[in-house]
Amino acid sequence: MAKGQLSLPKIVLQDLWNHKWVLLLMLFVLLNAVAVVYYSYASRKLISEWDRLLQQRDQLDVEWRNLLLEEQSQTEHSRIIRIATKQLHMKRPLPNEEVVVKLP
Amino acid sequence: MTRAAKQKQQPELIHWRLHVVLGVVCLLFVSLITRAAYIQVVEPERLRHESDMRTLRTTSTEVQRGLITDRNGEMLAVSVPVRAVWADPKVIHDNKSVDDRRRWQALADVLQVQEDKLLDRVTANPKRRFVYLKRQVTPIVADYIKKLRLKGVYLKAESRRYYPAGETIAQLVGITNIDDVGIEGIEQAYNSWLTGTPSKQKVRKSRDGHVVERLGVIQEGEKPNDLVLSIDQRIQALAYRELKKATEYNQATSGSIVVLDVHTGEVLAMVNTPSYNPNSRDELQSFRMRNRAVTDTYEPGSTIKPFVVAAALEAGVVKLDEIIPTSPGWMRIGGRQVRDARNFGDMSLARILQKSSNMGVSKLSLRMPIEQLIGTYNSMGLGNYTGIDLVGESAGIIREQHRWSDFERATLSFGYGLTATPLQLAKMYATLGSGGISYPASILKLRKAPKGERVLDEKIAHELIKMLVGVTEKGGTALLAHIDGYPVAGKTGTSRKAVAGGYGDDYVALFAGIAPANNPRLAISVVINDPKSDHYYGGDVAAPVFAKVMSASLQMLNVEPISPQEQSRLAAYTRGVR
Repeated sequence: MAKGQLSLPKIVLQDLWNHKWVLLLMLFVLLNAVAVVYYSYASRKLISEWDRLLQQRDQLDVEWRNLLLEEQSQTEHSRIIRIATKQLHMKRPLPNEEVVVKLP
Repeated sequence: MTRAAKQKQQPELIHWRLHVVLGVVCLLFVSLITRAAYIQVVEPERLRHESDMRTLRTTSTEVQRGLITDRNGEMLAVSVPVRAVWADPKVIHDNKSVDDRRRWQALADVLQVQEDKLLDRVTANPKRRFVYLKRQVTPIVADYIKKLRLKGVYLKAESRRYYPAGETIAQLVGITNIDDVGIEGIEQAYNSWLTGTPSKQKVRKSRDGHVVERLGVIQEGEKPNDLVLSIDQRIQALAYRELKKATEYNQATSGSIVVLDVHTGEVLAMVNTPSYNPNSRDELQSFRMRNRAVTDTYEPGSTIKPFVVAAALEAGVVKLDEIIPTSPGWMRIGGRQVRDARNFGDMSLARILQKSSNMGVSKLSLRMPIEQLIGTYNSMGLGNYTGIDLVGESAGIIREQHRWSDFERATLSFGYGLTATPLQLAKMYATLGSGGISYPASILKLRKAPKGERVLDEKIAHELIKMLVGVTEKGGTALLAHIDGYPVAGKTGTSRKAVAGGYGDDYVALFAGIAPANNPRLAISVVINDPKSDHYYGGDVAAPVFAKVMSASLQMLNVEPISPQEQSRLAAYTRGVR
């Protein structure tokens, strides 16, 4: 190769160096694009998780309502009175059998 | 050709080929760019629309009707989500989905209907677009149906209302119809408060059905509100049990009990017999569904007498310690007769009430102008609405007329010729118990006592309470209403039921009262309609129910029984009246 000739790689590098700001900006643009993709993916995932939790809440609410019904039917007053009097032979004390404890 | 010549020969550019190739390549790029620009810039709408069609969905939240609880948070009405199964006969017809008999058999089995009947319903008219197959199926059954994947069979969200307290409070809470609209009682009166509307939202869903983007609310829903009643379910259940027993024992047609808090006007219990089970709606009978405690009126009979004494004291036509002669135990007024059970002789005011003397109160009534008596009745709440927010409340009747005969003035004083509901009766006694302050009756739990209105002088109210204690003591008409430990101030009543042209042989037995008399807490009225057993007096039929409900309620509310000192002071007063 003749001495006066320029080497191509050197020129390319030189040229790139001269436009370093443009290159940097390009890099940012690329990173930005990737970030947009990533975060929209992440947000969708979160929203879908949120939705799942909402559904779970509704399910728990339904379960709560059913448990509530069960609790109410188990603790129904006439049922308790029946069990207390018939099975456990308890009775309600008369007012004059009551002892009043007064809190200071 | 020489070698040199060969070397010299340059590969010649064939220009037209180059141009053609370049041209084609450029054309390709241009067309691509144009297409892209066309899609992006000129007409992006269509593709967006296509995408939206596949991903945009409108979801709506499920809203359950609000809960109804008693004052301590016990559930009285709870809604649980269920599903309605419906079919689209047209879709079924077009898809010939009936051919898959195994699935239909399974559907019929799980819905507990006959397969042919089910098939008849969906194939009868293939032009129809909607037919209910079954309503209110449980979520488990609904899941099963979903898995059957029958074309043209769908599920719809709805809710079912359960009433855990059942018949004890059925008439008061009322019921909803199958479309979740309140049609009776509280459910009807507070329907819009309890009902919510679902909110609709636009969302984007991914291919597997997950929501990935929320695009905002289309329609803001309204949250349903819960309702806290003033009822104490413990007292309510107890009162119902006692009333039911008494109704059956006395073979009565119906009965009602109202328990009021003297200091706030809150209704702690309101029960009626006969009752019904609101959870099974197959055999609803309207006479069981009426809330008799507010809709039905009765002639209050002798329970009204304390208020005659109150009116006379207020008018100043009688002194507290005056002795009224009632001998010989009967008198003629305008050709009709007013009589007592026997000749009681000279009586004090307390003794008139204790013995329930018609003579005594008639004489008091005749001493004062009729306007005075009616005015007192009115201000105590007779003929007026009680302020409770219930559908179908009756205000009772006090006749308005210009000319009253003396006999009518007398009968008005022992509770004939006017009508009142059990609630009004309880409210009158509650007013007495609060020292003459009338509070509007409330079925909702109150945060603080409402502003009452003074309708009776405090001193007169206190004196009346002391007089009424004698009724349940030895010598009174309602020994069965006596409670050890809690002095009762109450009054019996037995009224004949009016029939066309006069009074028949049917009776209404009443008892109303307050306790403990030394520091009133509760007012209770017991009305037993048409008892058919041998006993029909208020003191025999209604008074024992009153005593049981009152004593147990006071115990539940942790009201302190009367101390021996106060007991003896009260007893001294009661003895003094004789």
